[in-house]
Amino acid sequence: MNCNDFEVIAGDLSKDVLMDANLREKGLEHSASCADCAARLEEERVLTGGLRLLAKASTEEAPANVEAAVLAAFRQNQIVPSTRTSYRRWIYVAASAAALVLIATLIALNASRTQKPELPSSQATTEEKTPGGTVAQSAVPVPRQSERNTVAAKSTMHRTEHGGAISQKPMQVETDSNAITEIATDFIPLTNREALAQMDGGQVMRVELPRSALMSFGLPMDMERATERIKADVVVGNDGLARAIRFVR
Amino acid sequence: MTLQTFSDVDLLRRMIAGEGEAFAELYKRRQAGVYRFALQMSGSPETAEDVTQEVFMVLMRTADRFDPERGSLAAYLYGVARNYVLRRLEQDRAFIPIMDSTEEGIAPAMIAEGDPLDDLTRSETIQSLRDSILALPPHYREVIVLCELHEMSYIEAASIVGCAVGTVRSRLHRARGLLLERLRAARERSSVRQEVKPLRCFA
Repeated sequence: MNCNDFEVIAGDLSKDVLMDANLREKGLEHSASCADCAARLEEERVLTGGLRLLAKASTEEAPANVEAAVLAAFRQNQIVPSTRTSYRRWIYVAASAAALVLIATLIALNASRTQKPELPSSQATTEEKTPGGTVAQSAVPVPRQSERNTVAAKSTMHRTEHGGAISQKPMQVETDSNAITEIATDFIPLTNREALAQMDGGQVMRVELPRSALMSFGLPMDMERATERIKADVVVGNDGLARAIRFVR
Repeated sequence: MTLQTFSDVDLLRRMIAGEGEAFAELYKRRQAGVYRFALQMSGSPETAEDVTQEVFMVLMRTADRFDPERGSLAAYLYGVARNYVLRRLEQDRAFIPIMDSTEEGIAPAMIAEGDPLDDLTRSETIQSLRDSILALPPHYREVIVLCELHEMSYIEAASIVGCAVGTVRSRLHRARGLLLERLRAARERSSVRQEVKPLRCFA
């Protein structure tokens, strides 16, 4: 055993606690042959003695007023804990049931939303504006540009070429219904017609643009209403590029 | 069969059933340990009183949560006491004076055999040792208090502190080392003091 090994066991040696007999013997042998470690062991013994003295001298107890206060509190709050336990258990059960009902309601709501596209075309179109005005309706997937039938909404975020971020709220659009309630221009291609024809699928997004955007497409605009905003449907391909636009009133 | 012969867990069951005498017996049995632990950790009788009261209030409120398979009731109470003490130490940290390294540490001789001033030396020793323990950082102090003053095993201390047994062992080793450093410093100061003897006062 060297001095470092002795250092580790010096405390236990001084306390005469249960320890490996072999280790103890080697430790004592080392301290007998090493003056520094013998001094160290003596220090540890003095410390252990002092701590034992302190432990013996520590006979303090909590004052009587603490006992009185605690016992009085027990008498005042003498609620049988088994009742408390069952009460708590009922709270947990009720909370779990409420959570289950909430989850079921959300699932049912979600399911009914996804079924809506199959409803008759009298469903109303909804839209949502956001601060800043560049955001409009959520995305509407369409198989082809020519097939503008009922489509299901998606809750993905897209960005149009005009920089309009689209809201994430899913919704349904019944375009035939729009045809009745809204007046729209034809779709104006934003790319060449060939690329438009090759488009496999995409989404129609309702956006809001400054009325001045009409001029960009060669459409007449009332300058007095230039500051107003105008709705438009943008056809966005699966690659995220805007392919066509129509203005809606 | 009297309540004194019941185990802690039996008393706790009776207490949960609303038996005030069982709670009183449990309090009598465990209050001293909790109070001393809080006192030795904080050095403040007021804090020790508050902590003791809080510990038994917590026991009242959470007795049904105690699981005897996870440890003894004593360890549970010490654990609650420890949390309250550490919280109080944290709150009072700004108001605790920093112990000066030049102040009186552990007395040079722990036990003076056959000394006529034995009692005085003994009480000085105890007080200086108390002060030295209070000067330790809390995580060293608690293992000294639990393992040395309350004679708990490393396993019990580890369950109260919430750490590994090896951590308790190494902290205890380090804590004893820190106490010994103070012991040496005190011894050196004492020897210097003995060398300087005033012969006459001219004031």
